[in-house]
Amino acid sequence: MRPTPAANLVRVAGVTLLILWSLGPIVMGVMTSMSTQPETQQVPARWIPEDPTLDNYRALLGGEKISSDDAAADSSQYGRAIVNTALATVVTTAIVLAISVCAGYGFSRTEFKGSKQLLWIVLATMVIPIFTIVVALYKLMAELQLINTFAGLVLVYASSTAPLAIWLFYNYVRDLPPDPEEAALIDGCTRFGAFRRVVLPQMRSGIAALTAIVMLFVWGQFLIPLLLTSTEETKPVTVIITEFIGKYTTNYPLLTAAGILAVIPPAIIALVLNRHIRGMLSAGG
Amino acid sequence: MTTGSTSGTWGSARRLLGFDLTGSAREGANLGRLLVLPAIAFTAVLIIYPLIVGINTSLHENVPTINAPADFVGLENYTNALKQPSVGSSAVQTVWYVLLALAIEIPAGLAIAALLHRNFRGRGLVMAVLILPWALPSVVSGVLWRRVFDPDSGLLNSALVQLGVIGEPHVWLADKGWATLFIVCVHVWGMLPLVALVFIAGMQAIPDDVYAASAVDGATPWKQFRHITLPLLLPSLVVALVVGTVNAINIFDEIYVLNGTALNTRSILMEVYNQTFIAGQFAQGLALAILVGLVTGALAIGYAMLLRRRTV
Repeated sequence: MRPTPAANLVRVAGVTLLILWSLGPIVMGVMTSMSTQPETQQVPARWIPEDPTLDNYRALLGGEKISSDDAAADSSQYGRAIVNTALATVVTTAIVLAISVCAGYGFSRTEFKGSKQLLWIVLATMVIPIFTIVVALYKLMAELQLINTFAGLVLVYASSTAPLAIWLFYNYVRDLPPDPEEAALIDGCTRFGAFRRVVLPQMRSGIAALTAIVMLFVWGQFLIPLLLTSTEETKPVTVIITEFIGKYTTNYPLLTAAGILAVIPPAIIALVLNRHIRGMLSAGG
Repeated sequence: MTTGSTSGTWGSARRLLGFDLTGSAREGANLGRLLVLPAIAFTAVLIIYPLIVGINTSLHENVPTINAPADFVGLENYTNALKQPSVGSSAVQTVWYVLLALAIEIPAGLAIAALLHRNFRGRGLVMAVLILPWALPSVVSGVLWRRVFDPDSGLLNSALVQLGVIGEPHVWLADKGWATLFIVCVHVWGMLPLVALVFIAGMQAIPDDVYAASAVDGATPWKQFRHITLPLLLPSLVVALVVGTVNAINIFDEIYVLNGTALNTRSILMEVYNQTFIAGQFAQGLALAILVGLVTGALAIGYAMLLRRRTV
Protein backbone atom coordinates (compact mmCIF):
# COMPACT_ATOMS: atom_id res chain seq x y z
CA MET A 1 0.00 0.00 0.00
CA ARG A 2 1.52 3.30 -1.09
CA PRO A 3 0.41 6.22 1.13
CA THR A 4 -1.55 8.96 -0.60
CA PRO A 5 -0.10 12.53 -0.66
CA ALA A 6 -2.77 13.56 1.87
CA ALA A 7 -1.76 10.75 4.23
CA ASN A 8 1.86 11.79 3.82
CA LEU A 9 1.02 15.37 4.73
CA VAL A 10 -0.83 14.22 7.87
CA ARG A 11 2.19 12.12 8.83
CA VAL A 12 4.67 14.96 8.36
CA ALA A 13 2.48 17.37 10.34
CA GLY A 14 1.92 14.80 13.10
CA VAL A 15 5.59 13.91 13.41
CA THR A 16 6.58 17.59 13.50
CA LEU A 17 4.05 18.25 16.25
CA LEU A 18 5.27 15.22 18.21
CA ILE A 19 8.90 16.33 18.00
CA LEU A 20 8.02 19.89 19.08
CA TRP A 21 6.02 18.54 22.06
CA SER A 22 8.79 16.13 23.09
CA LEU A 23 11.79 18.41 22.63
CA GLY A 24 10.20 21.83 23.22
CA PRO A 25 10.46 21.87 27.02
CA ILE A 26 14.02 20.55 26.87
CA VAL A 27 15.10 23.23 24.37
CA MET A 28 13.37 25.92 26.45
CA GLY A 29 15.19 24.59 29.51
CA VAL A 30 18.56 24.82 27.75
CA MET A 31 17.74 28.43 26.74
CA THR A 32 16.77 29.37 30.28
CA SER A 33 19.85 27.69 31.74
CA MET A 34 22.09 29.87 29.56
CA SER A 35 20.31 33.12 30.48
CA THR A 36 21.18 35.46 33.32
CA GLN A 37 18.78 35.81 36.22
CA PRO A 38 17.77 39.41 35.37
CA GLU A 39 16.98 38.21 31.86
CA THR A 40 14.53 35.61 33.16
CA GLN A 41 12.79 38.25 35.29
CA GLN A 42 12.05 40.53 32.35
CA VAL A 43 8.45 41.25 31.47
CA PRO A 44 7.53 40.26 28.82
CA ALA A 45 9.58 37.12 29.23
CA ARG A 46 12.71 36.62 27.18
CA TRP A 47 12.90 33.13 25.72
CA ILE A 48 16.30 33.30 24.10
CA PRO A 49 19.32 34.65 26.03
CA GLU A 50 20.92 37.72 24.50
CA ASP A 51 24.42 36.60 25.41
CA PRO A 52 24.38 32.86 26.25
CA THR A 53 26.42 32.02 29.33
CA LEU A 54 27.63 28.77 30.87
CA ASP A 55 28.15 30.38 34.30
CA ASN A 56 25.44 28.31 35.97
CA TYR A 57 26.91 25.05 34.70
CA ARG A 58 30.33 26.19 35.84
CA ALA A 59 28.98 27.00 39.30
CA LEU A 60 27.15 23.67 39.61
CA LEU A 61 30.12 21.57 38.58
CA GLY A 62 32.86 23.77 40.03
CA GLY A 63 31.49 24.00 43.56
CA GLU A 64 30.82 27.76 43.44
CA LYS A 65 27.99 29.06 45.64
CA ILE A 66 25.05 30.53 43.71
CA SER A 67 21.47 30.51 44.86
CA SER A 68 18.57 32.73 45.75
CA ASP A 69 18.54 33.79 49.40
CA ASP A 70 15.36 31.96 50.31
CA ALA A 71 16.37 28.60 48.77
CA ALA A 72 17.46 25.69 50.95
CA ALA A 73 20.39 24.60 48.80
CA ASP A 74 23.05 26.27 46.69
CA SER A 75 25.06 25.23 43.66
CA SER A 76 28.08 24.02 45.65
CA GLN A 77 26.07 21.01 46.86
CA TYR A 78 25.31 19.81 43.36
CA GLY A 79 28.47 17.89 42.51
CA ARG A 80 28.15 15.67 45.56
CA ALA A 81 24.46 15.04 44.79
CA ILE A 82 25.27 13.87 41.25
CA VAL A 83 27.89 11.48 42.65
CA ASN A 84 25.35 10.18 45.20
CA THR A 85 22.78 9.56 42.47
CA ALA A 86 25.29 7.87 40.18
CA LEU A 87 26.58 5.57 42.93
CA ALA A 88 23.12 4.57 44.12
CA THR A 89 22.02 3.97 40.52
CA VAL A 90 24.96 1.71 39.66
CA VAL A 91 24.80 -0.36 42.84
CA THR A 92 21.00 -0.75 42.78
CA THR A 93 21.06 -1.72 39.11
CA ALA A 94 23.70 -4.38 39.73
CA ILE A 95 21.63 -5.94 42.54
CA VAL A 96 18.28 -5.77 40.71
CA LEU A 97 19.80 -7.09 37.50
CA ALA A 98 21.40 -10.12 39.17
CA ILE A 99 18.16 -10.99 40.95
CA SER A 100 15.79 -10.47 38.04
CA VAL A 101 17.87 -12.10 35.28
CA CYS A 102 18.19 -15.27 37.35
CA ALA A 103 14.54 -15.23 38.44
CA GLY A 104 13.24 -14.31 34.98
CA TYR A 105 15.05 -17.27 33.45
CA GLY A 106 14.25 -19.60 36.36
CA PHE A 107 10.52 -18.87 36.30
CA SER A 108 10.08 -19.14 32.54
CA ARG A 109 12.40 -22.04 31.64
CA THR A 110 12.32 -24.34 34.64
CA GLU A 111 9.52 -25.88 36.60
CA PHE A 112 9.50 -27.20 40.16
CA LYS A 113 6.95 -27.78 42.85
CA GLY A 114 5.34 -24.45 43.74
CA SER A 115 7.19 -22.47 41.07
CA LYS A 116 4.00 -21.04 39.57
CA GLN A 117 2.66 -19.98 42.97
CA LEU A 118 5.97 -18.34 43.83
CA LEU A 119 5.92 -16.47 40.53
CA TRP A 120 2.43 -15.20 41.27
CA ILE A 121 3.43 -14.02 44.73
CA VAL A 122 6.41 -12.12 43.34
CA LEU A 123 4.31 -10.57 40.58
CA ALA A 124 1.42 -9.70 42.89
CA THR A 125 3.77 -7.47 44.89
CA MET A 126 3.80 -5.18 41.85
CA VAL A 127 0.25 -4.11 42.68
CA ILE A 128 1.32 -2.88 46.13
CA PRO A 129 2.02 0.82 45.67
CA ILE A 130 5.60 1.70 46.42
CA PHE A 131 4.48 4.16 49.06
CA THR A 132 2.82 1.53 51.27
CA ILE A 133 6.10 -0.37 51.39
CA VAL A 134 8.24 2.73 51.73
CA VAL A 135 6.37 4.07 54.76
CA ALA A 136 6.66 0.66 56.41
CA LEU A 137 10.29 0.35 55.39
CA TYR A 138 10.97 3.77 56.88
CA LYS A 139 9.98 2.37 60.26
CA LEU A 140 12.25 -0.66 59.83
CA MET A 141 15.09 1.52 58.54
CA ALA A 142 14.73 3.76 61.58
CA GLU A 143 14.96 0.73 63.87
CA LEU A 144 18.05 -0.54 62.07
CA GLN A 145 19.47 3.01 61.93
CA LEU A 146 19.64 2.89 58.15
CA ILE A 147 18.05 6.30 57.57
CA ASN A 148 20.55 8.58 55.87
CA THR A 149 22.76 5.70 54.84
CA PHE A 150 23.71 4.64 51.37
CA ALA A 151 22.90 0.98 52.12
CA GLY A 152 19.40 1.81 53.34
CA LEU A 153 18.64 3.89 50.27
CA VAL A 154 19.89 1.21 47.88
CA LEU A 155 17.83 -1.50 49.61
CA VAL A 156 14.62 0.52 49.32
CA TYR A 157 15.35 1.42 45.69
CA ALA A 158 15.93 -2.26 44.94
CA SER A 159 12.74 -3.28 46.70
CA SER A 160 10.72 -0.81 44.67
CA THR A 161 12.18 -1.81 41.28
CA ALA A 162 12.78 -5.57 41.60
CA PRO A 163 9.20 -6.87 41.04
CA LEU A 164 8.82 -4.89 37.83
CA ALA A 165 12.28 -5.96 36.64
CA ILE A 166 11.51 -9.62 37.36
CA TRP A 167 8.24 -9.37 35.46
CA LEU A 168 9.83 -7.65 32.45
CA PHE A 169 12.61 -10.20 32.26
CA TYR A 170 10.27 -13.14 32.79
CA ASN A 171 8.24 -11.95 29.78
CA TYR A 172 11.38 -11.43 27.78
CA VAL A 173 12.75 -14.94 28.35
CA ARG A 174 9.32 -16.46 27.69
CA ASP A 175 9.38 -14.98 24.18
CA LEU A 176 13.01 -15.98 23.52
CA PRO A 177 13.51 -18.90 21.07
CA PRO A 178 14.32 -22.05 23.08
CA ASP A 179 16.15 -23.84 20.24
CA PRO A 180 19.75 -22.89 21.13
CA GLU A 181 19.27 -24.18 24.67
CA GLU A 182 17.67 -27.40 23.42
CA ALA A 183 20.52 -27.93 20.99
CA ALA A 184 23.04 -27.43 23.78
CA LEU A 185 21.22 -29.94 25.99
CA ILE A 186 21.09 -32.51 23.19
CA ASP A 187 24.81 -31.99 22.72
CA GLY A 188 25.28 -33.05 26.33
CA CYS A 189 25.50 -29.72 28.14
CA THR A 190 24.21 -29.63 31.73
CA ARG A 191 21.31 -27.26 32.42
CA PHE A 192 23.63 -24.88 34.20
CA GLY A 193 26.24 -25.16 31.45
CA ALA A 194 23.60 -24.37 28.82
CA PHE A 195 22.34 -21.42 30.88
CA ARG A 196 25.82 -19.99 31.30
CA ARG A 197 27.27 -20.66 27.86
CA VAL A 198 24.25 -20.49 25.55
CA VAL A 199 21.31 -18.69 27.15
CA LEU A 200 23.18 -15.84 28.89
CA PRO A 201 24.82 -14.70 25.62
CA GLN A 202 21.46 -15.11 23.88
CA MET A 203 19.87 -12.74 26.44
CA ARG A 204 22.34 -9.92 25.74
CA SER A 205 19.77 -7.54 24.27
CA GLY A 206 17.33 -8.17 27.12
CA ILE A 207 20.00 -7.62 29.73
CA ALA A 208 20.99 -4.35 28.05
CA ALA A 209 17.36 -3.23 27.98
CA LEU A 210 16.75 -4.16 31.60
CA THR A 211 19.95 -2.41 32.71
CA ALA A 212 18.79 0.75 30.95
CA ILE A 213 15.25 0.62 32.34
CA VAL A 214 16.35 0.00 35.93
CA MET A 215 18.98 2.75 35.68
CA LEU A 216 16.40 5.25 34.36
CA PHE A 217 14.02 4.34 37.18
CA VAL A 218 16.55 4.67 39.96
CA TRP A 219 18.12 7.84 38.57
CA GLY A 220 14.77 9.63 38.69
CA GLN A 221 13.66 8.49 42.18
CA PHE A 222 12.44 11.38 44.28
CA LEU A 223 9.90 10.43 46.94
CA ILE A 224 12.01 7.64 48.48
CA PRO A 225 15.13 9.79 48.99
CA LEU A 226 12.94 12.71 50.09
CA LEU A 227 11.91 10.50 53.02
CA LEU A 228 15.13 8.60 53.63
CA THR A 229 17.88 11.19 53.16
CA SER A 230 18.48 14.52 54.81
CA THR A 231 22.27 14.85 54.73
CA GLU A 232 24.51 16.15 51.99
CA GLU A 233 26.34 12.81 52.00
CA THR A 234 23.25 10.90 50.84
CA LYS A 235 20.86 13.33 49.11
CA PRO A 236 20.50 12.57 45.39
CA VAL A 237 20.36 15.15 42.64
CA THR A 238 16.54 15.07 42.35
CA VAL A 239 16.15 16.19 45.97
CA ILE A 240 18.84 18.90 45.71
CA ILE A 241 17.20 20.31 42.57
CA THR A 242 13.91 20.90 44.38
CA GLU A 243 15.83 22.73 47.10
CA PHE A 244 16.97 25.29 44.52
CA ILE A 245 13.36 26.48 44.37
CA GLY A 246 13.07 29.44 46.71
CA LYS A 247 10.11 30.28 48.88
CA TYR A 248 9.42 33.50 47.01
CA THR A 249 12.00 33.81 44.28
CA THR A 250 13.49 31.14 42.10
CA ASN A 251 16.78 31.40 40.26
CA TYR A 252 15.47 29.86 37.05
CA PRO A 253 18.76 29.77 35.14
CA LEU A 254 20.41 27.87 38.00
CA LEU A 255 17.40 25.60 38.53
CA THR A 256 17.10 24.65 34.87
CA ALA A 257 20.86 24.22 34.46
CA ALA A 258 20.71 21.77 37.36
CA GLY A 259 17.81 20.01 35.64
CA ILE A 260 19.54 19.84 32.26
CA LEU A 261 22.74 18.42 33.81
CA ALA A 262 20.71 15.77 35.63
CA VAL A 263 19.03 14.85 32.35
CA ILE A 264 22.21 14.17 30.38
CA PRO A 265 22.95 10.63 31.69
CA PRO A 266 19.36 9.32 31.34
CA ALA A 267 19.03 10.98 27.93
CA ILE A 268 22.20 9.24 26.72
CA ILE A 269 20.98 5.88 28.06
CA ALA A 270 17.57 6.36 26.42
CA LEU A 271 19.00 7.39 23.06
CA VAL A 272 21.78 4.79 22.84
CA LEU A 273 19.70 1.83 24.05
CA ASN A 274 16.32 3.03 22.80
CA ARG A 275 15.77 0.09 20.44
CA HIS A 276 16.36 -2.42 23.27
CA ILE A 277 14.27 -0.43 25.76
CA ARG A 278 11.34 -0.22 23.34
CA GLY A 279 11.56 -3.92 22.63
CA MET A 280 11.34 -4.82 26.31
CA LEU A 281 8.66 -2.29 27.31
CA SER A 282 6.32 -3.31 24.51
CA ALA A 283 6.82 -7.06 24.92
CA GLY A 284 4.72 -7.20 28.09
CA GLY A 285 1.33 -6.55 26.52
CA MET B 1 4.76 1.11 34.82
CA THR B 2 3.69 -1.76 32.65
CA THR B 3 1.54 -4.38 34.25
CA GLY B 4 -0.60 -6.90 32.50
CA SER B 5 -1.49 -10.52 31.94
CA THR B 6 1.18 -13.08 32.67
CA SER B 7 -0.64 -16.01 31.15
CA GLY B 8 0.78 -16.36 27.71
CA THR B 9 2.94 -18.51 25.53
CA TRP B 10 4.27 -21.08 27.93
CA GLY B 11 4.53 -23.22 24.80
CA SER B 12 8.21 -22.72 24.20
CA ALA B 13 9.20 -23.52 27.76
CA ARG B 14 6.86 -26.53 27.85
CA ARG B 15 8.54 -27.94 24.78
CA LEU B 16 11.83 -27.69 26.58
CA LEU B 17 10.51 -29.43 29.66
CA GLY B 18 8.25 -31.91 27.91
CA PHE B 19 10.75 -34.64 27.20
CA ASP B 20 13.45 -35.81 29.50
CA LEU B 21 16.92 -35.12 28.13
CA THR B 22 19.40 -37.11 30.24
CA GLY B 23 17.49 -36.25 33.39
CA SER B 24 17.36 -32.55 32.51
CA ALA B 25 13.89 -32.02 33.98
CA ARG B 26 15.08 -32.76 37.52
CA GLU B 27 18.33 -30.96 36.91
CA GLY B 28 16.30 -28.04 35.58
CA ALA B 29 14.13 -28.02 38.68
CA ASN B 30 17.20 -27.81 40.89
CA LEU B 31 18.71 -25.05 38.80
CA GLY B 32 15.34 -23.26 38.84
CA ARG B 33 15.12 -23.36 42.65
CA LEU B 34 18.63 -22.00 42.89
CA LEU B 35 17.97 -19.20 40.39
CA VAL B 36 14.71 -17.94 41.89
CA LEU B 37 15.94 -18.20 45.48
CA PRO B 38 17.47 -14.68 45.60
CA ALA B 39 14.27 -13.16 44.22
CA ILE B 40 12.12 -15.01 46.75
CA ALA B 41 14.36 -14.10 49.68
CA PHE B 42 14.45 -10.50 48.52
CA THR B 43 10.68 -10.27 48.09
CA ALA B 44 10.09 -11.85 51.50
CA VAL B 45 12.49 -9.60 53.40
CA LEU B 46 12.05 -6.29 51.62
CA ILE B 47 8.43 -6.37 50.45
CA ILE B 48 6.28 -8.91 52.27
CA TYR B 49 7.81 -8.47 55.72
CA PRO B 50 7.57 -4.64 55.61
CA LEU B 51 4.02 -4.98 54.31
CA ILE B 52 3.08 -7.09 57.34
CA VAL B 53 4.85 -4.67 59.68
CA GLY B 54 3.03 -1.82 57.97
CA ILE B 55 -0.41 -3.41 58.30
CA ASN B 56 0.32 -4.25 61.93
CA THR B 57 1.45 -0.70 62.69
CA SER B 58 -1.65 0.73 61.05
CA LEU B 59 -3.79 -1.28 63.48
CA HIS B 60 -2.02 0.13 66.54
CA GLU B 61 -2.20 3.46 68.30
CA ASN B 62 0.14 6.16 66.99
CA VAL B 63 3.19 6.53 69.23
CA PRO B 64 5.62 9.45 69.27
CA THR B 65 8.77 7.30 69.09
CA ILE B 66 8.97 4.47 66.66
CA ASN B 67 9.97 1.70 69.10
CA ALA B 68 7.54 2.58 71.89
CA PRO B 69 4.86 -0.03 72.69
CA ALA B 70 1.45 0.79 71.22
CA ASP B 71 -2.08 -0.37 71.99
CA PHE B 72 -4.12 -2.27 69.45
CA VAL B 73 -6.83 0.06 68.16
CA GLY B 74 -8.33 -1.92 65.28
CA LEU B 75 -9.42 0.20 62.36
CA GLU B 76 -9.40 3.46 64.31
CA ASN B 77 -6.50 4.88 62.29
CA TYR B 78 -8.40 4.11 59.11
CA THR B 79 -11.57 5.87 60.22
CA ASN B 80 -9.57 8.79 61.63
CA ALA B 81 -7.66 9.15 58.39
CA LEU B 82 -10.87 9.17 56.36
CA LYS B 83 -12.39 11.80 58.65
CA GLN B 84 -9.73 14.39 57.74
CA PRO B 85 -11.22 16.97 55.35
CA SER B 86 -7.88 17.18 53.52
CA VAL B 87 -8.08 13.44 52.76
CA GLY B 88 -11.42 13.90 51.05
CA SER B 89 -10.28 16.86 48.99
CA SER B 90 -6.99 15.24 47.97
CA ALA B 91 -8.80 12.02 47.03
CA VAL B 92 -11.18 13.97 44.79
CA GLN B 93 -8.22 15.88 43.36
CA THR B 94 -6.46 12.56 42.59
CA VAL B 95 -9.56 11.26 40.81
CA TRP B 96 -9.37 14.37 38.63
CA TYR B 97 -5.69 13.72 37.91
CA VAL B 98 -6.49 10.13 36.87
CA LEU B 99 -9.47 11.04 34.69
CA LEU B 100 -7.76 13.97 32.97
CA ALA B 101 -4.52 12.04 32.44
CA LEU B 102 -6.39 9.09 30.88
CA ALA B 103 -8.57 11.42 28.79
CA ILE B 104 -5.42 12.80 27.19
CA GLU B 105 -3.12 9.77 27.24
CA ILE B 106 -5.46 7.23 25.62
CA PRO B 107 -6.55 9.25 22.52
CA ALA B 108 -3.14 10.90 22.10
CA GLY B 109 -1.38 7.55 22.58
CA LEU B 110 -3.62 5.98 19.93
CA ALA B 111 -2.96 8.87 17.55
CA ILE B 112 0.81 8.61 18.02
CA ALA B 113 0.66 4.85 17.50
CA ALA B 114 -1.41 5.27 14.33
CA LEU B 115 1.24 7.72 13.15
CA LEU B 116 4.29 5.61 13.99
CA HIS B 117 3.40 1.92 13.89
CA ARG B 118 4.32 1.47 10.22
CA ASN B 119 7.84 1.92 8.98
CA PHE B 120 8.89 5.12 7.21
CA ARG B 121 12.15 6.93 6.60
CA GLY B 122 13.51 8.45 9.81
CA ARG B 123 11.16 6.43 12.03
CA GLY B 124 14.00 5.19 14.25
CA LEU B 125 14.99 8.76 15.06
CA VAL B 126 11.39 9.83 15.78
CA MET B 127 10.95 6.83 18.10
CA ALA B 128 14.14 7.78 19.97
CA VAL B 129 12.85 11.33 20.44
CA LEU B 130 9.43 9.99 21.46
CA ILE B 131 10.71 8.05 24.50
CA LEU B 132 12.97 10.86 25.72
CA PRO B 133 10.41 12.61 28.02
CA TRP B 134 9.63 9.25 29.67
CA ALA B 135 13.31 8.65 30.40
CA LEU B 136 13.78 11.92 32.27
CA PRO B 137 13.27 12.20 36.04
CA SER B 138 9.77 13.57 36.67
CA VAL B 139 11.28 16.16 39.02
CA VAL B 140 13.15 17.55 36.04
CA SER B 141 9.99 17.50 33.89
CA GLY B 142 8.46 19.73 36.54
CA VAL B 143 11.53 21.99 36.55
CA LEU B 144 11.51 22.30 32.74
CA TRP B 145 7.85 23.30 32.69
CA ARG B 146 7.91 25.47 35.80
CA ARG B 147 9.06 28.67 34.15
CA VAL B 148 6.25 28.39 31.62
CA PHE B 149 3.65 28.87 34.36
CA ASP B 150 5.55 31.36 36.54
CA PRO B 151 3.19 34.28 37.29
CA ASP B 152 5.77 37.09 37.07
CA SER B 153 8.07 36.22 34.23
CA GLY B 154 6.36 33.10 32.93
CA LEU B 155 6.43 32.29 29.26
CA LEU B 156 2.71 31.50 29.13
CA ASN B 157 1.68 34.81 30.69
CA SER B 158 4.01 36.76 28.42
CA ALA B 159 2.75 35.08 25.30
CA LEU B 160 -0.90 35.55 26.26
CA VAL B 161 -0.45 39.19 27.27
CA GLN B 162 1.41 39.97 24.06
CA LEU B 163 -1.28 38.27 22.00
CA GLY B 164 -3.88 40.25 23.91
CA VAL B 165 -5.69 37.16 25.16
CA ILE B 166 -5.39 38.28 28.79
CA GLY B 167 -4.98 41.84 30.04
CA GLU B 168 -2.58 41.19 32.90
CA PRO B 169 -0.45 38.28 34.17
CA HIS B 170 -2.44 35.46 35.73
CA VAL B 171 -1.30 33.42 38.75
CA TRP B 172 -2.03 30.09 37.05
CA LEU B 173 -1.01 27.71 39.82
CA ALA B 174 -3.15 29.48 42.42
CA ASP B 175 -6.22 28.78 40.30
CA LYS B 176 -7.30 25.23 41.09
CA GLY B 177 -8.71 24.40 37.68
CA TRP B 178 -5.76 25.71 35.67
CA ALA B 179 -3.24 24.30 38.12
CA THR B 180 -4.80 20.85 37.84
CA LEU B 181 -4.75 21.01 34.07
CA PHE B 182 -1.11 22.15 33.92
CA ILE B 183 0.06 19.52 36.38
CA VAL B 184 -1.70 16.86 34.30
CA CYS B 185 -0.02 18.33 31.22
CA VAL B 186 3.43 17.90 32.78
CA HIS B 187 2.54 14.40 33.99
CA VAL B 188 1.25 13.39 30.55
CA TRP B 189 4.43 14.74 28.96
CA GLY B 190 6.36 12.06 30.84
CA MET B 191 3.81 9.22 30.57
CA LEU B 192 2.57 9.54 26.98
CA PRO B 193 5.63 7.84 25.46
CA LEU B 194 4.95 4.67 27.46
CA VAL B 195 1.25 4.60 26.58
CA ALA B 196 2.10 5.20 22.90
CA LEU B 197 4.65 2.34 22.99
CA VAL B 198 2.00 -0.03 24.35
CA PHE B 199 -0.36 0.89 21.49
CA ILE B 200 2.41 0.71 18.86
CA ALA B 201 3.25 -2.83 19.96
CA GLY B 202 -0.44 -3.73 19.87
CA MET B 203 -0.91 -2.35 16.36
CA GLN B 204 2.21 -4.09 15.08
CA ALA B 205 0.83 -7.40 16.33
CA ILE B 206 -2.18 -7.09 13.98
CA PRO B 207 -1.29 -8.93 10.73
CA ASP B 208 -1.23 -6.81 7.56
CA ASP B 209 -3.44 -9.35 5.69
CA VAL B 210 -6.44 -8.31 7.76
CA TYR B 211 -6.12 -4.75 6.47
CA ALA B 212 -5.40 -5.91 2.92
CA ALA B 213 -8.48 -8.17 2.89
CA SER B 214 -10.75 -5.44 4.23
CA ALA B 215 -9.35 -2.94 1.73
CA VAL B 216 -10.32 -5.35 -1.05
CA ASP B 217 -13.81 -5.34 0.45
CA GLY B 218 -13.81 -1.56 0.18
CA ALA B 219 -13.25 -0.53 3.81
CA THR B 220 -12.11 3.08 4.30
CA PRO B 221 -9.13 3.79 6.61
CA TRP B 222 -11.51 5.09 9.29
CA LYS B 223 -13.70 2.00 9.06
CA GLN B 224 -10.57 -0.17 9.26
CA PHE B 225 -9.47 1.70 12.38
CA ARG B 226 -12.93 1.48 13.94
CA HIS B 227 -13.74 -2.16 13.14
CA ILE B 228 -10.33 -3.86 12.95
CA THR B 229 -7.70 -1.89 14.87
CA LEU B 230 -9.74 -0.88 17.90
CA PRO B 231 -11.27 -4.30 18.76
CA LEU B 232 -7.96 -6.12 18.24
CA LEU B 233 -6.25 -3.47 20.35
CA LEU B 234 -8.34 -4.24 23.44
CA PRO B 235 -5.55 -6.04 25.35
CA SER B 236 -3.22 -3.08 24.72
CA LEU B 237 -5.97 -0.71 25.81
CA VAL B 238 -6.25 -2.52 29.14
CA VAL B 239 -2.48 -2.39 29.67
CA ALA B 240 -2.51 1.33 28.80
CA LEU B 241 -5.37 1.94 31.22
CA VAL B 242 -3.57 0.12 34.04
CA VAL B 243 -0.29 1.96 33.34
CA GLY B 244 -2.04 5.33 33.08
CA THR B 245 -4.21 4.84 36.15
CA VAL B 246 -1.53 3.49 38.48
CA ASN B 247 0.91 6.23 37.52
CA ALA B 248 -1.67 8.99 37.89
CA ILE B 249 -2.75 7.71 41.32
CA ASN B 250 0.90 7.82 42.36
CA ILE B 251 1.43 11.37 41.07
CA PHE B 252 3.69 13.32 43.45
CA ASP B 253 6.94 14.68 41.98
CA GLU B 254 5.44 17.00 39.37
CA ILE B 255 3.05 18.58 41.88
CA TYR B 256 5.80 18.96 44.49
CA VAL B 257 8.00 20.86 42.03
CA LEU B 258 5.27 23.00 40.47
CA ASN B 259 3.13 23.87 43.47
CA GLY B 260 4.63 22.30 46.61
CA THR B 261 2.15 20.60 48.93
CA ALA B 262 -0.44 23.37 48.50
CA LEU B 263 -3.91 22.13 49.39
CA ASN B 264 -5.53 23.18 46.10
CA THR B 265 -3.49 20.69 44.06
CA ARG B 266 -2.59 18.12 46.74
CA SER B 267 -2.77 14.49 45.58
CA ILE B 268 -3.60 11.58 47.86
CA LEU B 269 0.03 10.48 48.12
CA MET B 270 0.96 14.02 49.17
CA GLU B 271 -1.67 13.75 51.85
CA VAL B 272 -0.09 10.46 53.00
CA TYR B 273 3.29 12.20 52.99
CA ASN B 274 1.92 15.13 54.99
CA GLN B 275 0.13 13.00 57.57
CA THR B 276 3.04 10.62 58.03
CA PHE B 277 6.11 12.80 57.91
CA ILE B 278 4.97 16.37 58.43
CA ALA B 279 2.18 15.82 60.99
CA GLY B 280 3.97 12.80 62.50
CA GLN B 281 0.81 10.65 62.43
CA PHE B 282 2.73 7.57 61.42
CA ALA B 283 0.08 4.90 62.01
CA GLN B 284 -2.63 7.00 60.43
CA GLY B 285 -0.48 7.77 57.39
CA LEU B 286 0.19 4.07 56.96
CA ALA B 287 -3.52 3.30 57.18
CA LEU B 288 -4.16 5.81 54.42
CA ALA B 289 -1.30 4.41 52.31
CA ILE B 290 -2.79 0.92 52.66
CA LEU B 291 -6.22 2.19 51.61
CA VAL B 292 -4.67 3.78 48.52
CA GLY B 293 -2.96 0.47 47.81
CA LEU B 294 -6.24 -1.45 48.09
CA VAL B 295 -7.99 0.93 45.71
CA THR B 296 -5.12 0.71 43.22
CA GLY B 297 -5.10 -3.09 43.39
CA ALA B 298 -8.88 -3.26 42.97
CA LEU B 299 -8.70 -1.02 39.90
CA ALA B 300 -5.93 -3.12 38.33
CA ILE B 301 -7.93 -6.31 38.93
CA GLY B 302 -11.07 -4.61 37.60
CA TYR B 303 -9.33 -3.71 34.33
CA ALA B 304 -7.95 -7.24 34.01
CA MET B 305 -11.44 -8.72 34.47
CA LEU B 306 -12.80 -6.35 31.85
CA LEU B 307 -10.31 -7.86 29.43
CA ARG B 308 -11.12 -11.44 30.40
CA ARG B 309 -14.86 -10.96 29.96
CA ARG B 310 -14.43 -9.47 26.51
CA THR B 311 -12.06 -12.09 25.18
CA VAL B 312 -13.45 -15.35 26.59
